[in-house]
Amino acid sequence: MRTAHVRRTLVFIALCLIGVTTVYPLIFMALNSMRTSQQYEVSPYGLPTHYSLDNFRALFDQVPFLSSLLHSIIVVVPAVILATLFSALAAFVFTKVPIKLGNALFWLMLTIMFMPGIVVLIPLYVEIGHLGLASNFTPAILVYTAINIPYGTYLLRSIFRAIPDSVVEAARVDGAHWWTIFARVIMPMGRAGVMTVGILTFLNIWNELFISIVLLHTSSTEMMTPTLAQLSGRYSNNIPVIMTGLLLGSIPTLLVYFVTARVFIRGMLQGAIR
Amino acid sequence: MQVRKVPRLRWNTFPYLAVLPAAALIILLMVLPIGETIYRSFTNWDGLTSSFIGLQNFRLIFQNPVSNQVFVNSVIFLISVPLILAASVVTAVLIYERVLGWRVFRFLFFIPAVLSPVIVGALFSTFFLPSGLIDKMLSPVGLSTFPWLSSPWPARAVVILALVWTSFGFGMVVVLSSMATIDPALYDAAHIDGASWWTRLTRITLPMISGALQFLSVINVIYTFTSLFSFVYVITAGGPGFATTTVDYFTYVTSFENGQFGYGAALAVLLFLIVLVLTIVQVKLFPRREVQGS
Repeated sequence: MRTAHVRRTLVFIALCLIGVTTVYPLIFMALNSMRTSQQYEVSPYGLPTHYSLDNFRALFDQVPFLSSLLHSIIVVVPAVILATLFSALAAFVFTKVPIKLGNALFWLMLTIMFMPGIVVLIPLYVEIGHLGLASNFTPAILVYTAINIPYGTYLLRSIFRAIPDSVVEAARVDGAHWWTIFARVIMPMGRAGVMTVGILTFLNIWNELFISIVLLHTSSTEMMTPTLAQLSGRYSNNIPVIMTGLLLGSIPTLLVYFVTARVFIRGMLQGAIR
Repeated sequence: MQVRKVPRLRWNTFPYLAVLPAAALIILLMVLPIGETIYRSFTNWDGLTSSFIGLQNFRLIFQNPVSNQVFVNSVIFLISVPLILAASVVTAVLIYERVLGWRVFRFLFFIPAVLSPVIVGALFSTFFLPSGLIDKMLSPVGLSTFPWLSSPWPARAVVILALVWTSFGFGMVVVLSSMATIDPALYDAAHIDGASWWTRLTRITLPMISGALQFLSVINVIYTFTSLFSFVYVITAGGPGFATTTVDYFTYVTSFENGQFGYGAALAVLLFLIVLVLTIVQVKLFPRREVQGS
């Protein structure tokens, strides 16, 4: 009994130490966003001696922070909705309404699921430029959608497979159309899984740098991650401004995670990730 | 059994319409571009003009010391994979002990996974600046300023550390979801037999989660080859020299900064082939012990 107690205490201490490494960077960003660069040089940790919002002002005045936030929302929201919807439709067909060539399409998806994005981005970048759509959000939305469909379909396929065929058959006997079955039976029954896949897709696209830097490289279309990536170079001698940018930049995904954590973590634990 | 026949009276258009958006997008924006990349890898394409030059690009890749270095770098970064697996298993096993506040810890450990690699990279590069946070922490030990990011191996170590920090949360969740399928009776039986904590870990837990570990190692090996771009871009920009330039970053620089799209396409094709081969090898290599339900 006594050794068990000691072991549980040790486990608790170990968990606390790991927790410090995952939380401290957030605290570090928050505290230093309120320091001046002189104060940072003296002491980067501990509470600031006095609080100031100058870094936030500098960031909003000198960096197109709000517009890049807006651009990210314009691109990411439709891409996440489309990718999740199209993946769900495909996964529904693959699991419940077998068709000719369905297997071939699924195998194609599996093969390109892990394909490095740069393989398709080289020709897409050039062709989109030739079409005169270089600073247009639509191609970026469609590319993000397409690239996220294979993994989404793969995950949703295993989620929908867990829904008994008899449920679908019963709805068919009642005369329900396939579209109705998809919207009223499959999606509600797989809701936790669909939400988990949607959140994963959101995190993937929102956090991604490569595609956004290649496809939307003009200042009038720049997304969040390229803006953040340039902070370090631009403010190399003013760390607190960088920290302010990183803090604000992490809020959207942290917010989504905090709000959805209950469903999201349960969804992932129930196997919605492989 | 009779039920199955009822709805099939006329040809059903639904499934074809339902897969159409996914199929169209994948063919238009992935399959066709892959074809074009393969074709362009045999040309000297600069985005406007292109002429067929056979295997010239591939010959250049194998002869150029820089591109060789870049492939070696990607292999070096594979050091992160066992580290990620170890960190994932350790945190999952600790969480599984269900001590006070374990749900909170599980929630906190996933935070790095929801941050962009850009943010993680910028944080780590700040921490490791000369006289930065890490140097200040190490100053009692006598390392007041160490050029972390301008020496090859320390710079690689910083990239690997950032990668492990971002990746272990996802790994932990995968391992936990696999551990949830282990029958608790196994642990009880082992406990009655007087098996030590270590024996239970190595004889029950690890064998039972081998499927999850296989999945994680495949995913992370591929990730190392294809997705270090953001970390490298933000932390080191490939330097010092080419010490942290990975294949995907080098392909980006070649294509989008130097405009050598044909050469870039050849690099991309090689990268795709490597990823394909690695996936197949890893799937074949691991013992097939599909104990858990998925």
